Amino acid sequence: MIKRVLMFLVMISAGFLFEGCKKGGSEILIGQWGPQTGPAALWGSVARGTDCYFKMINDEGGINGRKLKLLIRDDGYNPARTVTEVKKMVEGDKVFAFVGGVGTAPGMAVKEYLAQNKIPWVGPAAGSTHWAYPPTKYLFSVYPLYCIEAALLIDYAVKTLNLKKIAVFYQNDDYGKVGLYGAEVAMAKHGLKLVEKVSAEITDTDLSSHALKLKNSGAEVVLLWVLPKHGATILGTAAKTGFKTQFMTSSTLSDAELMFTITKGLWKDMIVCRFSELPNSDSPLMKKYREAWKKYAPTEKWSTFFQSGFLFAETLVEGLKRAGSDLTSENFVKAMESIKDLQGTGGKMTFGPNIRQGSNTGFLTKVVSATEEKKLTDWVTSDINIDEVIKKLK
Amino acid sequence: MIFFQLVIDGLSIGSLYALLALAMVIIYKTSEVPNFAQGEMAMVTTFVSYHLMEYYGFTFPVSFLGSLIFAAMLAVFFEFFFLRRAKEPNILNFIIITLGFERMLYGLAAWKWGADQRLYPSSFDPLPISSSDTFNFGIISVSHISLIIMSVAFVLIGGLVIFFKFTRLGIAMKATQQNLLASRINGIRTNRIMSFTWGLSAMVGAIAGMLFVPGTATPLDSNLMLAPLIKGFAAAVLGGMTTMIGPIGGGFILGIIEKFFGFYISSEFETTVSFTIIVLVLWFRPSGLFGRHYIRKV
Amino acid sequence: MDMKRSYYEDIQLLDSGTKKFWFGSLIIILLIIPFLIPGYYLHEVSYISINIIVAIGLNILVGYTGQVSLGHAGFFAIGAYAATLLVKHLPFFPFIFALIIAGLIAAAFGFILGLPSLRLEGPYLAIATLGFGMAIIQILGRFSVFGGRMGLSVPDIGFLNDLLYDSGLFTKTQSRDVNLYYIIMSITIIMALMARNLMKTRIGRAFIAIRDSDIAANSMGINLTKYKTLSFAVSAFYTGLAGGLYAFWMGFINPDSFDFILSILFLAMVVVGGLGSNIGPVLGAIIISFLNLNLQADSISAIPLLGDLLTVITENWMNKGGIASVSIIIFGLILIFIVLFEPLGLFGFWIRIKKYWKTWPF
Repeated sequence: MIKRVLMFLVMISAGFLFEGCKKGGSEILIGQWGPQTGPAALWGSVARGTDCYFKMINDEGGINGRKLKLLIRDDGYNPARTVTEVKKMVEGDKVFAFVGGVGTAPGMAVKEYLAQNKIPWVGPAAGSTHWAYPPTKYLFSVYPLYCIEAALLIDYAVKTLNLKKIAVFYQNDDYGKVGLYGAEVAMAKHGLKLVEKVSAEITDTDLSSHALKLKNSGAEVVLLWVLPKHGATILGTAAKTGFKTQFMTSSTLSDAELMFTITKGLWKDMIVCRFSELPNSDSPLMKKYREAWKKYAPTEKWSTFFQSGFLFAETLVEGLKRAGSDLTSENFVKAMESIKDLQGTGGKMTFGPNIRQGSNTGFLTKVVSATEEKKLTDWVTSDINIDEVIKKLK
Repeated sequence: MIFFQLVIDGLSIGSLYALLALAMVIIYKTSEVPNFAQGEMAMVTTFVSYHLMEYYGFTFPVSFLGSLIFAAMLAVFFEFFFLRRAKEPNILNFIIITLGFERMLYGLAAWKWGADQRLYPSSFDPLPISSSDTFNFGIISVSHISLIIMSVAFVLIGGLVIFFKFTRLGIAMKATQQNLLASRINGIRTNRIMSFTWGLSAMVGAIAGMLFVPGTATPLDSNLMLAPLIKGFAAAVLGGMTTMIGPIGGGFILGIIEKFFGFYISSEFETTVSFTIIVLVLWFRPSGLFGRHYIRKV
Repeated sequence: MDMKRSYYEDIQLLDSGTKKFWFGSLIIILLIIPFLIPGYYLHEVSYISINIIVAIGLNILVGYTGQVSLGHAGFFAIGAYAATLLVKHLPFFPFIFALIIAGLIAAAFGFILGLPSLRLEGPYLAIATLGFGMAIIQILGRFSVFGGRMGLSVPDIGFLNDLLYDSGLFTKTQSRDVNLYYIIMSITIIMALMARNLMKTRIGRAFIAIRDSDIAANSMGINLTKYKTLSFAVSAFYTGLAGGLYAFWMGFINPDSFDFILSILFLAMVVVGGLGSNIGPVLGAIIISFLNLNLQADSISAIPLLGDLLTVITENWMNKGGIASVSIIIFGLILIFIVLFEPLGLFGFWIRIKKYWKTWPF
């Protein structure tokens, strides 16, 4: 009996050892989740980009005398893990806000929780319609909607290139569908219809029947709304089936250097919609970022994803600066709402009491070589009705 | 015309499924291990070949051969240090061990080569092959790569059939799979045969992996073989895991069904439909299309 | 001490003083845990607890009846979607009935999947079940009733929520966690006891007989059709019910969360825990789901000695962003080593510790 009671006591006291909370005094803790492992690990560099950006800000003196600290947690693109990691960061580490966060599904899994706990969240790393439509108080979206990008591309194809037979090759999930519906709505605006829409599952490896379908439709323009892997595969497969046409694609595939390499140059002449300045642009801000990258994270690749980690955090940092030394969620939200026409490395950001989508602009480029892209348009936005797209998604 | 194009595409991808299935069947026949690590073994081997070319400047043929040796060594290592150590194993234990090895290799590749996507092979030098050139017959176009894949598959399959029928080693392997104890009594070193089997199977799988990347124009990353492995396994089961002809037939049938369904009906349910067909086939022929069903007797 | 004199003693739930004592203390500990650990750990405990239900259910099929399944993520998904849709569209419906109905729907699918198992074995059955799991994901993603690829948000089950909040002990978020914890934990205990009981009945013994030799079982008059499909159905019921709990725990479900890897994870829990034992799947579920949640990049470099070594290796030879992937390698190694060195799984360890403790100091 004594043995048993002893055991019982040991177990109880072990329970108490579980306690443990840390708090930073002169630091502002910011959280970010992002897949460092698993099928979506390619996007892991977004979080590491934000980290690099924070180091740069800290060396410039921080924000109102306080340093920024970023917690990066790996969720492996698995919503269940996102939920537990975010809870740990909110309730254990007591982060002030979240920035970035790759993926629609992981984001959706914690959206409600963050809103309930009044934790600000800036710049989810996905152009989904779920963030700002309808607007919620603590969630600020930076990434232009995928449907706007699709509409911009369609407008360009129809108006400037005067090509009317357009097909869409999309990934069968939220990302692909927002792009597809954006394209459909934009086509309807011109009184046209898509000649073909072909979907791919994320696990598909061989796309020959997909390519054949696209070829058979006689499309003059094909919009690619897939991930880099499928983007490369479909171009290679299309070349093999002797299908040559004008391809266009979203910002997700805007890493021209990567795409050019893995397609062996087939990426040439691709028309891409971008929401951030070209990585080798000469704007002062971009130059500064490149220096920061060389200084703080020289082993990383200067890719579009890495750089978008900077972009998502830009708006957050501006909001923190404006919120002043008395940093509370309410003050931060007010500060964010006061942002008008903020020029970072993306489109001009504007928020307001009921505006939670900071920017809905992009510009089109044509890929010339692995490191060179030709600007086709200036920053433009589309006039398609976003509600129509959202209605289609339901 | 489209019809023939689909047949050609189906045969091309089907021969890759067939090779993967064949690799699994070679192991399954000798040791009753459903090898879930087959895909990742091929993936890592492809990465090794990539590494040899990209960082050490070897030509394609050299790196191809070099990585085949690596594949064989990897498999022999796994068989010797992990599988052989299992005490009283049953099929579930085997599934878990190979799944564990699959995770290990996957993690290792992601650790070593990261999440970036790579181009493999960057060139076939000095072989006169290009990954995007095609032969055109009317509106059917057959890429050089598809032709190479199909011919490699046929040669390999033929070679293996001859190997298992006519060579001493092949016959010893067949004997081991049919009756372990009896073959040991007859002087076959069954342990050594096991190692050979694994090495052979890994090489077949590795060839499938290295053809897969240029064949489907997919970039190389650590997720490369997750889906093809399941397809290969399905092809093996469809054809029957106890015959040589099974995986080959299964692979081609699976490839062609996929292409036709994907083109004429919907690319969305390509995978689902192939699995439904497999379940239906298994319902009527529980040991696969070509396998003979043995009813166990007491 | 383990001698049993009559059949009624055998089917008794808690047959000895020792067991009564431990069961009692376990209940007490589980009751007071919410007051001891922070909400986010509690949340993890709930997650582990859900996995325990799945592992117990899968163990009935794999461990006791000897059938392979690589498609349990499919049942999990069916349960999650059924429970969500019921609660969402019929708000007056008590969640507990929704859970039971979700389990029953999964069981119906289990029965259907059980039919091919009459003729298939080994890898053939593995592929059939795997195909089932993959097809379910596709179908769920296809129809807008199920929220398509985007998924569905799950309404809160407010059972004890307000009560806990009004007591003043917990904040709003905490009371949600505590509420879920109590619901999930009590269901887990009930389900575990039911499984334990089931294995002592005629049905359970029939399952075991089928595992050991289905031909012998058949010749003894056990109806293979009935019991094999029943085993699939019972196992699916457990998994479906757990799926419903998962939906409530998560607050959001989408088809891609229920992929093939999840089925592997479930299977790993049972095999690592120890096939065909009561305590095994529980231990397996705890270990595997804990590792699954907690093996992080920064926790890897924080492992004493090994962590530094790994960091050095990463910096010199590996991809710089790749250290997080070591967690996958560790996971694989654990699977392999447990099967290699302890064929009984963690259950084997458990027995040895128990023996050591009982006979100590001898």
